[in-house]
Amino acid sequence: MAPIHRAVRARKAAQYVTRQPQRCAAAFSVLNRPPPSYEGHIPLTTIERGAMAVSAALGSLWNPYRGDLISITGETTATPYFIYRLRDAMLRDPTGRRILRDRPRMTSKTIDVKYLRTLPANTVGRAFFEWLEREGVEQDSREQVKYIDDEECAYVMQRYRESHDFFHALTGLPIVQEGEVALKAFEFANTVLPMTGLAMGAAINLKPAERSRFWETYLPWALTNGLKSKEVINVYWEEQLERDVGELRAELNIEKPPDLRETRRVLREKRRAEKAARQAQ
Amino acid sequence: MRPFRPQYFLREARRSRVRQVVGGAHRSYASSATNPEVYDLVCVGGGPAGLSLVNALRSNGSTSHLKIALIDSQDLSKISHGQHNASPTDYSNRCSSLTPASMAFLDTIGASPHLNTSRVRPYNHMNVWDGITGQHITFDWATAHGFPSLEPNPITASAISSAESKTIAYMTENSNLVSALLARSAALDASTSHPLTLYSSTKVDNVELGTQSEDPEGVDLRSWPLVTLSNGATLAARLLVGADGPNSFVRTFAGIQSRGWDYERMGVVATLELESPTAAEPESATAYQRFLPSGPAALLPLPGNYATLVWSTHPSYAARLRELNEEDAIAMVNAAFRLSSVDLEYLHTISSGQADEVAWRLQHTQFNNDLVPPQVMGIKKGSVAAFPLRMRHADTYTGERVALVGDAAHTMHPLAGQGLNSGLLDAAALARTISDAVNSGADIGDTLSLEGYNTARYAANHALLGAVDKLHKVYSWQSGPVVWGRSLGLGVVERWGGLKGLFMGGASGGA
Repeated sequence: MAPIHRAVRARKAAQYVTRQPQRCAAAFSVLNRPPPSYEGHIPLTTIERGAMAVSAALGSLWNPYRGDLISITGETTATPYFIYRLRDAMLRDPTGRRILRDRPRMTSKTIDVKYLRTLPANTVGRAFFEWLEREGVEQDSREQVKYIDDEECAYVMQRYRESHDFFHALTGLPIVQEGEVALKAFEFANTVLPMTGLAMGAAINLKPAERSRFWETYLPWALTNGLKSKEVINVYWEEQLERDVGELRAELNIEKPPDLRETRRVLREKRRAEKAARQAQ
Repeated sequence: MRPFRPQYFLREARRSRVRQVVGGAHRSYASSATNPEVYDLVCVGGGPAGLSLVNALRSNGSTSHLKIALIDSQDLSKISHGQHNASPTDYSNRCSSLTPASMAFLDTIGASPHLNTSRVRPYNHMNVWDGITGQHITFDWATAHGFPSLEPNPITASAISSAESKTIAYMTENSNLVSALLARSAALDASTSHPLTLYSSTKVDNVELGTQSEDPEGVDLRSWPLVTLSNGATLAARLLVGADGPNSFVRTFAGIQSRGWDYERMGVVATLELESPTAAEPESATAYQRFLPSGPAALLPLPGNYATLVWSTHPSYAARLRELNEEDAIAMVNAAFRLSSVDLEYLHTISSGQADEVAWRLQHTQFNNDLVPPQVMGIKKGSVAAFPLRMRHADTYTGERVALVGDAAHTMHPLAGQGLNSGLLDAAALARTISDAVNSGADIGDTLSLEGYNTARYAANHALLGAVDKLHKVYSWQSGPVVWGRSLGLGVVERWGGLKGLFMGGASGGA
């Protein structure tokens, strides 16, 4: 709304005061892109946003390891409404407000893995460290948000993205596709971001055994826990590192799902043993 | 038919004894008030409605001879005195917006020349917007067209000089209005032989029906209300007018039910000092109203850099607002016109630190700078007050020798600023009805004589109360189809000048 008014005022000013070319007054199109409202911002027209959303969603379904495409899908489908809803959820909560005010960023620079290693076993920080170790991943910098027009909402998206690994650590879900789909379902029930809902569509890529496990165990867990728990976006992770992880789960009202990696390992060994037994015969 | 004579009324009282003596045996004879003073009209309540009724009757040739008493529990002379000595930087928190129709009535009864014009602020522009969607509507006569007959009534008073055809309403303190009405009354006292009997700082102790006098030549007062005052005097009223506010004693005496509901909202009022006036010229100004889900916040211009706040909100929010220190309270008022309702909801729950929070949120909130009022810089000490908001409507405005005007008859949500105006229009209509009764030689206390008043005002007020009530309800929604619908509706009215003219005509009392 405000940019329109600005444009109208600018047009009026141009009429009465100067005869300069009315560049800022022309409608927003690919030929006339407004200046970015924050560093790295790329304003998109509605058509561009729609086209990017569709192509990025299909692309990430084709290749689930394209994190960049998942990011683009997330940003281009977050407006209208959804990212504002998430921002308002933060504004309603004292901690959420503090996060919005401080705008902390979580990167390998701000979260010191060496320090996490020194924390006691039951802490949030240690759980995160162990999850990193187990999954063999590094706490790397996340993609910068570019396509959300409101600078505060862009931060909200950034924060969601950077909190994602902590959601993994809190629930213990692995980064294999089965775990990601389950976690996205949880996030969808909790944050209502459309991308997390679309990501559940990746369930079609799962193997039949994985898919039935998703339907029977992890999806019900994700939906009930996502809905009944507090808004997980309002956790100030940087301040919770030394907190007891069970206590935090209890405070957020989240139950830990069955250990997926462990289940998969047990099943795999069983399969191997059966195969070995068959070969021995 | 007998020719009209001024003494007619008292003679009528005597005559009615003959008529009633036969069937009156079942009446109980109260022993008190053996020697009441008989009045044609006793008005309980010296607020704008009561005082303007009395002035209207006394200014009209056919009713100027009536013997009238007015009773008020407050010291009315203090109000006029306070108004005369008030400094131009000191405004009361009880202000009203007088519509052109109300102003025209004040002209007719000769009260407007007594208004202190330096304390009246006409405004010709109004910004109203939705706190959820931001959809707005601006009112001024320049953008409303198509209904020339709905132009506001021409203001002929010399007192309010310029810009009359563009004025939406006139903001002033209720005390300025009351003191003008008192001054007009004093001027009439000086010029006529029928002075008003004014019982100031006097309470009504009791109202009951009168008795038949022991003396066969005495007055039969069995259908007359006898008003016993705290100073011991007893007045017999041919017509008792209840202008005594929402908890009307007169209404209770008459056994008239008042129905409605409480909004569970408080109206928070305060006198504000702004960074700059809402308009450069003294005769043009802007009134602002933002509909928040908890209730509308309105900022209405007073002379100079001053304005008055009327913020309807939840009782707990109102209590919190009143406890805040000045800096935080100022921040809250500025936030009410700028920040999102989510932010406001949060700010209402913290006990301090609003100023800091608001300064931060203003950096990240987009609002239309052309729509919002100038920054509030100060709140007058002790001017923050709150009152409960209600909707009440009496079943009828008239009874045997009883009539109700103003808040005694109806109470409404202040979001349209029409409470006081409808009270003045009641007074105008009742004065007309009484004058008609006098001119046709009828008893002014008779239910038949009073029926014209009920007809003139009841339906109009009922429609107004209903409209205001629906507006309150429609704007209480935070999301969903009602929010889309109301924004669409507001957008249509904003773009359609003719429809806007119709609304403005209604709002200014011209319709």
